Order: sequence, then C-alpha cells, then structure tokens
Amino acid sequence: MSTEINKNNVTWTVREEIGFLSLDNPPENYLETPEFIPLDLLKDFIGTNPLRGMVICGVGRHFSAGAKLDNLYELSADAEVLKIKMGQGQHLLSYIENLDIPVIAAIKGICFGGGLEIALASHIRICSANALFAFPEVNHGMMPGLGGTMRSLQISRFPEVLKMILSGDIVNAEEAVEMNLVDKITPADPVEEAFLLLKKMTTDKPLKVIQSVMQAVRNSKALPPAEALKEETRLFCELAAAIAIQRSSGSANGNE
Amino acid sequence: MTTTYTTISFELIDGIGHLQLNQPPSNEMTLDFFSELAQITEEMHSVSEMKALVISGKGRHFSSGARLTELIPTTWDGKTGTAVLSGSEIEKFLERNNRSFLFLENLEIPVISAIRGVCLGSALEIALFTHFRFCGEDAVFGLPETTFHLIPGIGGISRIAALSGIANALEIVLRGNTFPAEDALKMNIVDLILPRREVVQRAIEFVKSLPADYRKEKSRLYLRRYINHQKGSILYIENS
Repeated sequence: MSTEINKNNVTWTVREEIGFLSLDNPPENYLETPEFIPLDLLKDFIGTNPLRGMVICGVGRHFSAGAKLDNLYELSADAEVLKIKMGQGQHLLSYIENLDIPVIAAIKGICFGGGLEIALASHIRICSANALFAFPEVNHGMMPGLGGTMRSLQISRFPEVLKMILSGDIVNAEEAVEMNLVDKITPADPVEEAFLLLKKMTTDKPLKVIQSVMQAVRNSKALPPAEALKEETRLFCELAAAIAIQRSSGSANGNE
Repeated sequence: MTTTYTTISFELIDGIGHLQLNQPPSNEMTLDFFSELAQITEEMHSVSEMKALVISGKGRHFSSGARLTELIPTTWDGKTGTAVLSGSEIEKFLERNNRSFLFLENLEIPVISAIRGVCLGSALEIALFTHFRFCGEDAVFGLPETTFHLIPGIGGISRIAALSGIANALEIVLRGNTFPAEDALKMNIVDLILPRREVVQRAIEFVKSLPADYRKEKSRLYLRRYINHQKGSILYIENS
C-alpha cells in the first residue's frame, strides 16, 4: 500500500497495482471545477506506479453530487473562461476514458450531474443498492456539459436518456441497471467489489495484453467495423510474436 | 460443391445449407479447418439454390475454438532478430480467416449459428459473424485468449463490444472465464435459448420462416416475430 496523497479535493492511493482516485470533498463531494483534478496531477499519480487498473469513488456516503453551482455561476460570468474550464473538464474525462488500463466507477449514494459524467467516462460502473443517479442540470436552466448526454446515449436507450436529462428525475440503482447506465448492483462495498473485479481481470496478465484489449475495445467505438477487425488482428499478431521472442530467448538461456 | 472436406461437412437439404464443424468431440478449429473454411466459402459463391445457411458442430459441442499454440511463431532467429515463422505469415493467415468470417456475415441469405455445448474463442468469434445465434440450455461461452497471454484476434473483442457494450466486453475478454447460456442471453450475445435437442431443428425452422426479401438489418424484427409466434414452447425468450 502506498502512502495516501490528498490534493485538490481528491485522494489517491494504490493497492496491489490498482489506483484509487477518491473524490474527497465530503459530504456531497461536490466538484469545485469541471476539471475536478488537474490533468497533470492525475498523470503524475498514474505515472508514478505501474498500474493495472483504477477505481474512481467518493469519500464517505456519496459518489458526487456534481458541480458546485456557486462556482459554476461565477465561472459563467465570463463566457470565455467558462468555455476554457469546460474544455479542460472534457479533456480530463476523455483522458480517463482513453486510459489503457480498465477504470471502474464504484458508486455509493448520490451520483449526479458532473459526478455521473465521471462515472460514464469510466469503463465499468458498479453501484450499491442505495445509489441514486440524475442529471439535475435542467433544474438550473442548464444541461450536462461534460459529455454526459453523448456517453449515456452510447450505452442506454434514447427515450429513457432524453427523459432523464429533460426531467432531471432521479433514477435508482435498479432502474439505472435496467437502462444500462450501470453494469451491476452489489450488496457489498462497491469499492471492494471494483477492486476484486479488477484483480480478476488483470492478475497474471502481461500489461501488454491488457493494453491491447483496451486498444481493441476503443477501436470498436472509434473505427468502422472492418477497420476495428483489422486492428484487432494486428494486435493479436504483435502479442503472438512477443510470445515467440520470449520462448526462444527462454530456450536460448536454457541451452547455456 | 465438388471438393471433399475432412474438417467440415456441408450438405444442402431443401435449399438450406448445413455447415458442420466436423472434428468431434471438440471440433477444434485447426489450421486445416481454417483452410477448408476459406475454400468452402469460395465454393459457396456458386451454390445459387441455397436459401439460408445453418452452422453447427457435430456431436455434443459447437467447438472449443482454435489451437492457440498453432498461432504462435515457433522459431525465432536470434541473429536477425526476426521470427522465422514470422508474424506476417500469421497475420496473413488471420486475415484470410477474417475474410471467411466476413463472407458469412455479408451473405444476403440468412446465416444462423446453432450452438450446443462449448463455444469458445474463435468458435464464438465465427458465431458473432452470423446473423443469428440460437443456443442450447447447455451452451457454454467464453473468450479465454488472454489467459494464454493473447487476445481474441478475429473480431471477438470488437463484435462483443458492439453487441453487449464495453463493460461486458472488457470483463469477458480480460477475465477470460466461461459463462452459461443465460448470461450470454442477458448480454445480447445469443438471441434465443432452446432445449439442447431442438437447437438445430429450430434454427432451420426459423430461417425457413424468413421472407424472400430477407435483409439482415431487420434481424431484430424477424426474431421478435418468430418469438411471438412461438411463445410457450421456448425456454427463454429474448430480453428486449
């Protein structure tokens, strides 16, 4: 277990090659700025340790209630500043989404607005039975601004997503699973559950294998099917060649 | 069809083509199998009287997939730093497999996999390229490649991601564990679960019921219609 680092309302720990990024602004874990952790700081965290996975969670009872409205109104006074800040937030979420290790959002309690958008940028979402989800932006004359609309439509169905965003209604854990917004509900602690799943997925696997799978999965979204298929074959061949090299050098050593 | 195949059997009965993986008990997909598959897809161009194609495995199982050890370059030239049985040869081999699989996908007639028993690795991949997947209650699925430090290389990752989403694709591929028919149905990987003994017969009955102006883009609609007609006699119906 590495030492705990606490900066900018997030806490970072590493346990058995799994990084834990905890939103740490209790009780609601409001996001003070759209870029809830400076991207460079997150890159530092991730770059310091060899990681095989990451869990994003909230400190205490909730995941996150989303953006702090006062801060958002303050930012909105200058349209240019707001645009830059939102751009930074979007950039951060794309960075997380494109990481070449699996990222699981472990959700307890409230997961609203920007909090839900962070969860949607993760690859897998696990929640407790008491978790609640919403896009409350419409109640304040706004809409999701960090890709929440787009990402929820990629995994859920149009009518349900539209209703959620336009009504601001709260969706419970079961409904969230039903609409595919969340992948599973766990009776256990979702953080522990996410950790165990990441261990099952990554233990004893060369990092290159994990990275290749992540790449192939990303391709399935970014490329036309025929291209994605071609790339998958290429990635397979690279791994097969790497195994061949390893074997031959292994046997060469054996002969010495 | 004139050629005799050893790893595949093909029959045309009543306008329905029956392609069987024919190396029981596991119907392992050997290099010979992939060669013959490429050959048979060539020949299929000329079978104009074929109205639909059903793919299944002979005996208890669909197939245990490819022999992964066959796909790793076996020798390595330390002097030149290149694999003798090079990655590019394997790449060529896999690209030919991609073409065979894409051929099945792009057929304008209905193509269905009737899956009994195990359906692992490349066997699941070939099934993912067919337009429909019916399976027995005993069917077992999985993409175990990463446990051998490889990845599914013929569309397993991208097709599962498209059918069941990124979260399911990551878990299936990275864990590499097997999962039962009910899970496959929940994840949209199969369309229908049937009593084991009825799988092939129902697949035939289904493709026979499809209209002459069949279009694979309408596969969901055809399935819903069939399932509505069959209510009560089917074990589990499709989720959505």
